[in-house]
Amino acid sequence: MPYYIGDVIQDQNKLIARTPEKFRESGIDVQISARVEGIDPARGEVSLQDGRIFPYDVLVMATGTSAFVPDMPGLDLPGVVSLRSLEDAVRIKTWLREKNAKRVVTIGGGFIGLEMSEALSAAGISTTIIHKDPLPANRWDPVLSQMMLEELQAQGVKFVGGASAQGVEKGTSAPLRVLTDRGDYEGDLVLLAIGVRPDANLARATGLKIGTTGAIAVNFSQQTSIENIYAAGDCCESFHRVSRRWVNVPLGDIANKQGRVAGRNIGGRPMTFDGIVGAQSFRLFSLQCAAAGLSEREAIAAGFSPASHVAWGSAMAPALGMRKIGLKLTADRSTGRLLGAQAVGAAGAVGRINALSVALWAGMDLDQVGYLDLAYSPPFSPAWDIIHNAAQALGRSL
Amino acid sequence: MAKNLVIVGGGAGGGSAAAEAKRNDPSLNVTMLEQGKFVAFAA
Repeated sequence: MPYYIGDVIQDQNKLIARTPEKFRESGIDVQISARVEGIDPARGEVSLQDGRIFPYDVLVMATGTSAFVPDMPGLDLPGVVSLRSLEDAVRIKTWLREKNAKRVVTIGGGFIGLEMSEALSAAGISTTIIHKDPLPANRWDPVLSQMMLEELQAQGVKFVGGASAQGVEKGTSAPLRVLTDRGDYEGDLVLLAIGVRPDANLARATGLKIGTTGAIAVNFSQQTSIENIYAAGDCCESFHRVSRRWVNVPLGDIANKQGRVAGRNIGGRPMTFDGIVGAQSFRLFSLQCAAAGLSEREAIAAGFSPASHVAWGSAMAPALGMRKIGLKLTADRSTGRLLGAQAVGAAGAVGRINALSVALWAGMDLDQVGYLDLAYSPPFSPAWDIIHNAAQALGRSL
Repeated sequence: MAKNLVIVGGGAGGGSAAAEAKRNDPSLNVTMLEQGKFVAFAA
């Protein structure tokens, strides 16, 4: 959706994988503007706010997320928005165009806020990012976050780190002003990008078990605590194969897989969704940013004793040039098992994390990762890839 | 009688579940309920 708002994707219909008509052609009835009032699991009925009742034999909860809205004054002013649904995206794009917007203030420097700064820049709109921590993208190693910060600055994005937003009011040089403990910032639009929360209110009211993450608890078949009710997507938990804990990672690729697995089980061809390793990526102007597995803090919380190393290298053989990539690996001190990976840099960073996701899935240790058979040729890597170098360097330090 | 499958939410998870259930069991009556105006959109 950020790419739609930035006009990189011009047609909103390109974001729609399947239209209601397409669903209907395949025999699926789609009701839009259908707000659910409640679910009666004993009778097997869903009731809508408009009074209609839909009886079910099997139900799927796919209620997604709601944007996390902080507690501060002025958030009801027109032009203060969050980005959760395609409707939000259309509303934001219309607002930016109608107001001939030049400046946006984003509260939150996580990956949505960062992605949006690139998208808005492509549309000729400058961004100020207000972030509570000194560096963007909290889960990342500071040296990699520093690289992101330098890229933001090089691209003309103003990053105000270590700042706490305290409210929004009407501005003087622009319609809105964000007040922080590190100065005030004006813009035509204020974007709240502090994060999302699983939307589990309906599930809770229905009596479904909610996990410690606040998302709906499911088993590997995507069934909830009530046998004929399944859940899929951002509203439910996933099993993290590295931490061995149930987590909530609201990403569309995971939602697709969980939905498809639920559909297989409901349709009578059973299968399981075996979990995730927390792989994710985003682009920040010329930088690829990707991570998989656990950060050090998450590794400690999961009972590991982590050690890390950041390696710097190139995504091509030195004789051909430099394509700088920083790669951080985290492993368990006692077993040498790979626990996490983060990469920031030139083209090739995301591909390396994809390879390391498979290593994480397979539970490989650093000796195995350090000698993995990767697709070598000089335009794409030195003979020793940065993955090999990073794994061997971390292995030697354990 | 054919079973009724109701899906609450028409995003990526709901849309995928609806399509895959119907693909595997064409006899299902599938209804997808979406509170907004769009279904199966990409974030």
